[in-house]
Amino acid sequence: MSAGPPESGRHAPLAGLVDHLFRHAAGEMVAALARLLGPARLDLAEEAVQDALLRALQTWPFAGVPDNPRGWLFQVARNRALDRVRHETMSREALQWPDGIVDLAQRGDGSDGVRIGDEALAMMFMCCDPALGRAAHIALTLKLVSGFSVEEIADASLERAPAVAQRLVRAKREIRERRLALEIPLPRELGARLESVLEVIYLLFNEGYAAHGGESLVRADLCDEAIRLARLIAGNPQTDRPSVEALLALMLLQRSRLPARVDALGDLTLLADQDRSRWDRDLVESGLRHLGRAAAGTEVSPYHIEAAIAAQHATARDAASTDWPAILRLYDDLVALKPSPVVALNRAVAVAMAEGPDIGIRALERIGDDPVLAQYHLLPAVRGGLERRAGRPAEALHHYRAALALRCSAPERRFLKRQIREIEDELSRAAPQ
Amino acid sequence: MAQFLVLARDNGDPRREMTRMSPEEMQRIMGKYMAWGARLREAGHLQNSNKLRDGEGRVLRRAAGKVTVTDGPFVESKEVLGGYWLIEAPDYAAALELIQDHPHIELWPNASLELRQIHDFTQR
Repeated sequence: MSAGPPESGRHAPLAGLVDHLFRHAAGEMVAALARLLGPARLDLAEEAVQDALLRALQTWPFAGVPDNPRGWLFQVARNRALDRVRHETMSREALQWPDGIVDLAQRGDGSDGVRIGDEALAMMFMCCDPALGRAAHIALTLKLVSGFSVEEIADASLERAPAVAQRLVRAKREIRERRLALEIPLPRELGARLESVLEVIYLLFNEGYAAHGGESLVRADLCDEAIRLARLIAGNPQTDRPSVEALLALMLLQRSRLPARVDALGDLTLLADQDRSRWDRDLVESGLRHLGRAAAGTEVSPYHIEAAIAAQHATARDAASTDWPAILRLYDDLVALKPSPVVALNRAVAVAMAEGPDIGIRALERIGDDPVLAQYHLLPAVRGGLERRAGRPAEALHHYRAALALRCSAPERRFLKRQIREIEDELSRAAPQ
Repeated sequence: MAQFLVLARDNGDPRREMTRMSPEEMQRIMGKYMAWGARLREAGHLQNSNKLRDGEGRVLRRAAGKVTVTDGPFVESKEVLGGYWLIEAPDYAAALELIQDHPHIELWPNASLELRQIHDFTQR
């Protein structure tokens, strides 16, 4: 080993790495290796990538960060994968490798001519293939494209790690057995295939924006990863459709509000009470720009409408200036396009804001029996808020307590308890002595 | 000014831990090692550092009148030397202060750092 001081040679002086470099590079490398080795060899691709990252972890602290960290990592991962390929005996599996793989192993000169961006995109479509289940879509995308570990996926989806691990094993087996291809779908299939991918991305974003449980309400890194994935799709002319721009706009606009959504203690702040000076203006502008691009053509997806609603909030000077009638009209359009109890619930909030709490409550009553909402804590929580605003504290208490009995994140639980305490205090103060 | 060798020892666990780690965790850990190294280098304390290759080595002994060479020590054996840092500090107390927040012992439960001052023969 060299005896020279570590700062000689090729290392970066303050040894800083771009945030999430390893995670993003992992996704790119797995995709590129899967292109080289074939989707049947995903496990080998993942092992080779893990090896390369491990090697970096062990050597960069001593040797310094290379000038081209991604290039270094990919070179090591690729060599590791090709070494394994060379040493394996010719088995039945080996005969199924794509043509040219043996030539590639013997060449090994790095002249693959593959564009990194394309593979990750193709990988997203393969992970969201309709032949696989929705739960598999999420697990595969997070593992293979986003570079999450099984534990991190379990954490993000509030599932148990062994279940996630099993799902990945099964999904990869499906990919092998069905011989799914690692490629961007043809234009005539793209629309439908894109729908799947966008749904997964939006699911990921929502888990980061409003967690279903756990200690944090907000996980900004999940939102950022969802945005990154959408940008990947929007950045390729082959796949950039208006619905992609609309989803990107929606996520950017909602993301802009995150700094004000939870306070320093992680406690929830309602939209009406948020300090709008803390909204990220760059994200708002970026979101509005993408909303403009989404308006090209005639396609109107639910994302278009949701983004337009988010834009209404983002451009209102303050809570009181919000154009609720306009938002209500947008919700009417959304309910027609994507009828769902959750959308109807959100519309009821707009009804209450535009026409008063009692009318909002009537809208809520019309969806109150929907089984989909039976375990959804926001239904009674919203009802509680409206009853309180309508001047019926006892009813408000009843609904807030019902909300508390359902599953939600810790900050939301604290929020509900606070409302309950406040109302109880008001009631006891008003009670005859 | 005195020189010290900081010897990092593992009992094999770190490698097993690391193979299961997520890319994000690995980067976080690497960041800690690099930050520690950068801090010491900038303050002028770090002279050199190297990692030793894992899972290989030779051990020489003399037995029955001749030199024998065996393969080893291996990672499976306890307390294998994984790497070293050569640092400069006035004395043990100062050197200890420099290494007590070293990521190696912060991150790995059964790892250890051995600190040994280099004998300076020019000193009386």
